[in-house]
Amino acid sequence: MRRALRAAPFIGPHLVLFAVFGLLPGVYGLYIGFTRWNLLGDPQFVGLDNFHEILFDTESVFHDQFVNGLVNTLIFVAVSVPLLIVIPLLLAAGLSRKDLKGAGFFQGVFYIPGLISVSAGAIAWVLMFNRELGPLNNLLGTDISFITTQPWAWLTIFVLTVWAGIGGNLVIYRSAISAVPRELHEAAQIDGAGTVRRFLSVTLPSIRFPLLYTMVLTTVGSFNVFGQPMMLTKGGPNSSTKVLMMNIRDLAFGTGASIAGMAAAMSMLLGVVLMLISAVQFSVMHRGIRG
Amino acid sequence: MAESTTVPPGDGGRLRRRTSLIICYVALATLALVWLLPIAYSIATSFKSATEIAYSGFSLLPAHWVAENYVTLVEGASSYPVLQWFVNSLVISTSHAALTVVVVALAGYGYTRMRFPGRDALFLTLLGISLFPSVVNLIPSYKIVQTLGWVNSPLAMIIPGLAGVANVFLVRSFMAGVPRELDEAARVDGAGDFRIFAQVILPSIRPVLIVVFLFSFTGSWNDFLWPTIVFNDIERMPITAGLLLLQNMFGDYSKLGQLMASAVLAMIPTTVLFLAAQRYFLSSLNLNAGLKG
Repeated sequence: MRRALRAAPFIGPHLVLFAVFGLLPGVYGLYIGFTRWNLLGDPQFVGLDNFHEILFDTESVFHDQFVNGLVNTLIFVAVSVPLLIVIPLLLAAGLSRKDLKGAGFFQGVFYIPGLISVSAGAIAWVLMFNRELGPLNNLLGTDISFITTQPWAWLTIFVLTVWAGIGGNLVIYRSAISAVPRELHEAAQIDGAGTVRRFLSVTLPSIRFPLLYTMVLTTVGSFNVFGQPMMLTKGGPNSSTKVLMMNIRDLAFGTGASIAGMAAAMSMLLGVVLMLISAVQFSVMHRGIRG
Repeated sequence: MAESTTVPPGDGGRLRRRTSLIICYVALATLALVWLLPIAYSIATSFKSATEIAYSGFSLLPAHWVAENYVTLVEGASSYPVLQWFVNSLVISTSHAALTVVVVALAGYGYTRMRFPGRDALFLTLLGISLFPSVVNLIPSYKIVQTLGWVNSPLAMIIPGLAGVANVFLVRSFMAGVPRELDEAARVDGAGDFRIFAQVILPSIRPVLIVVFLFSFTGSWNDFLWPTIVFNDIERMPITAGLLLLQNMFGDYSKLGQLMASAVLAMIPTTVLFLAAQRYFLSSLNLNAGLKG
């Protein structure tokens, strides 16, 4: 007991903060998903009503919003996760060549957009995509309303995502590749394996842990996508890029009356999807590491 | 050089190697250009006059470089308090990062150097809870912040993030690597926990604390969803949330220069931090991933 008291000044501050801003909202969040609530009065317990309405009531506007938001979020995840893994991986392989100079400079260039806020980065790209003043239309000789027509609206979202998102994974892959023992490469070379072959059968297996680690983090991050569509397309045209986080935010904090209970239920469903996917990836990772 | 000790490449091999190197350079240079272009074009446009943007059509560089857009922001003559947002962001991010370092360093010491029953179990429990999807916390976190009276207060962005466990994990792992002989020597000299913490441990974990500071600062500076929820007072919001309001200026080419100047302003602090402390940013990713080979 005395020992615990002596430790209190050290772990106490973090522990209190964690209780109030980590644990409490988590527990509270699980509860209000089962309530009708407008952020103001007392939440009214309604059991599984919210979930039933979101998932099964095809008449309900919340059902439509959830399905549309989830589909758009899945589209975003399905396209952006592979891009955010493969592009940095190829770049890392290129930058790891012993005879290449300026690797640090290139890495810096690819890393910097990740340090720029999504709102500032989006404004830069909206200008790039601007119909009259943007370099894209002017240099390509086209006249496209990128932001307001599909499939271009999705394209702008992916461009901003890849532009800002590859740096972190690139740095991880590069340092992982540099840690691959040179003897492995030399042995494969003696066996007559070419560059591509060695990348596939020496480099990739050696960096499988960082590879799977970044996959989990990138996937979780992509499911939480919000800033890019919010800043670029506002979810349009016709809600075709409106992702689930935008629906959740609108319902709870939008201009109309708050429907926080429903939004919390949607958050929980998104949370469940996230946990399932992480669990699958972790089990694959586990098998990959033992195998 | 290494190749000659293993497989001596014939002339064909050398030529192929050379060609592939050139292809590599061309691809990287092209991509680097594409990566820099949006930033460069934003900067260039921020130095164009309102009339040039409205009437001269497309050009990569300004016909005449003018600073009027920045002057408008600094003088507060813009229709939005952009400079105020910038200052708000600086206050928020700096305080958040400084407090994170303090809280995390203290906790790291507690979880590695203090002995009390259930210590490691307690930490693993925190870590486990923190792995649950944070999206569930969003709405209740707002309610808590509202109850504390922090809506429209910088505290709403400074304090809740201090509850994070990842940084404690990082510092705890780093601290575990600091030799215990150092503490014991100090203890023999009669030093108490606070002195050991301040004089022995803190100096030896400086690199990881710098990393925590830098990432907390940039994370806070770039945070977007949360500030759009906890601020509705235009004067008090940080610049990321402010830029969302500025988006409607795209319709008005006479204000586009100001918009780009505002975006450029928002890019400066984190980019400068990176250029000044690059090695910390890059080493941190390995620390975070626990992948140091």
